Amino acid sequence: MWKKIKKGIEIRIGLEELISNSLKKYRVPKDTNIFYTLGIITVVAYMIQAVTGYFLLLYYVPHSEHAFNSIQDIMNNAPFGWLIRMMHIVVSNLMVVIILLHIISLFVMGSYKKPRELTWLAGGCLLLVTLAFCLSGYLLPWSQRSYWATTIVTNMPTAFPVIGDFIAKGLRGGDYVSGITLTRFFAFHVAFLPPLFLLIVGLHIFLVTRIGLTTPPFNKSAEEEKPWTEYRHVSHPNSYPFYPNFLLKEVVMIMVFFAITFFVISFMPTLFIPEAANTPADPLKTPAYIKPEWYFLAPYQMLKLIPNKFFGISLQLILIGIFLLWPFFDKKEERNILKRPLLLVVFLLSILLWVILTVWGRYS
Amino acid sequence: MKRRSFLSLLLAVLGTTALGSFVYPLVRFLAPPEEKAKIKKVIVKKNDIPASEAKEILFGNTPAIIINRYGKGYIALSKVCTHLGCLVDYNKEKKKLICPCHAGVFSLEGHVESGPPPKPLSILPLKVEGEDIIIG
Repeated sequence: MWKKIKKGIEIRIGLEELISNSLKKYRVPKDTNIFYTLGIITVVAYMIQAVTGYFLLLYYVPHSEHAFNSIQDIMNNAPFGWLIRMMHIVVSNLMVVIILLHIISLFVMGSYKKPRELTWLAGGCLLLVTLAFCLSGYLLPWSQRSYWATTIVTNMPTAFPVIGDFIAKGLRGGDYVSGITLTRFFAFHVAFLPPLFLLIVGLHIFLVTRIGLTTPPFNKSAEEEKPWTEYRHVSHPNSYPFYPNFLLKEVVMIMVFFAITFFVISFMPTLFIPEAANTPADPLKTPAYIKPEWYFLAPYQMLKLIPNKFFGISLQLILIGIFLLWPFFDKKEERNILKRPLLLVVFLLSILLWVILTVWGRYS
Repeated sequence: MKRRSFLSLLLAVLGTTALGSFVYPLVRFLAPPEEKAKIKKVIVKKNDIPASEAKEILFGNTPAIIINRYGKGYIALSKVCTHLGCLVDYNKEKKKLICPCHAGVFSLEGHVESGPPPKPLSILPLKVEGEDIIIG
């Protein structure tokens, strides 16, 4: 029976040839390491977010008077609601970790260089969309942290004259964060951002497969050395097929990702849920010691330190711009960061600064 | 002008007009209508605010605070921090208004003393009539 179905499909759409072309004939350099699997883990994390998000929609009520209670219901009354929501929260945080590691590893291996500038740009945009997901998502529980974090973020555009107020009001749907803001952020979170994310992921994966994977810069292939004057797919003579060799490596790393997720849910359930996230929103009281999520602590501390609001927010936008367009600034052909001491020092100092600001922001 | 150039120009103008006719209503749709203030006048009894104490009120749609400054009389200020919109807290011991979000510090007159806020807190119109403090 199964063979008949398989043959029927094979006759009609040539599935075996498709699998052979897309999985077996697609070659992956032999010296790839585990950092090459971070992209697929991000895609898996996104799929987990989508599936758990759909299930949360069955109980969640996007209204300022019911949102907080509906979340409490999910956590306390809905069977295994706590598991679905905890997966949604933990994976959203781990997703940011994975994307940051992905970006750092690509930077260290110089994988952003010609002809992969657009791949880097698409990846950077994916990080921004992921952060927009996180931001729009954490207003939805309508807790004190949700409310005041959103107040801060939606006030940021007011640093810019003329259009700033218009943008801030457009985001909030009024002068202050209110039920209208909740509805808007809910719409962003479940309707506007997912297709945008899928579009950019599609472009990113298209670019990766169309151009071909890079090899680590420490022993560059002859093909990578050739000057890039016209389009060519990077084929690796010293390579193995994507399926089963590389796919197996990816599956192992996906299992590790799941293990970490369930370890956090089981043994550190409050890691990403501080007290202010369990208190209903009070628009008349900003809680003392309110802190943003860990990945926003560095910009938060930077805003605290820079005395001028316009300058503080502009500086952050400039840094984002430099990050996104970095491949167009760094034109040197040398991909091995160890042979570029200045770049190595700037990179290490940037990481150190980010860590210092994050820790300072957490404990200040 | 050549016919081809003219047609290209016409196409560009019509295309821009068509796009604009979609974008304009969309932008207007996103911009919220102006909210009318719900509370235009607030009356508080003087006895409710002893010296060096404060009382929180809602004026219009704005969270505000009336402070009875020792030796300087009453003042009504918006509680909305001018940095990024968190609500400042009255610290009686330090005689300051402090923002819990980015550590902006204001004097009891609403002036910025330290931190990142770009301008003072808004002062609300206040008058004292007999035993009443009238805001608005």
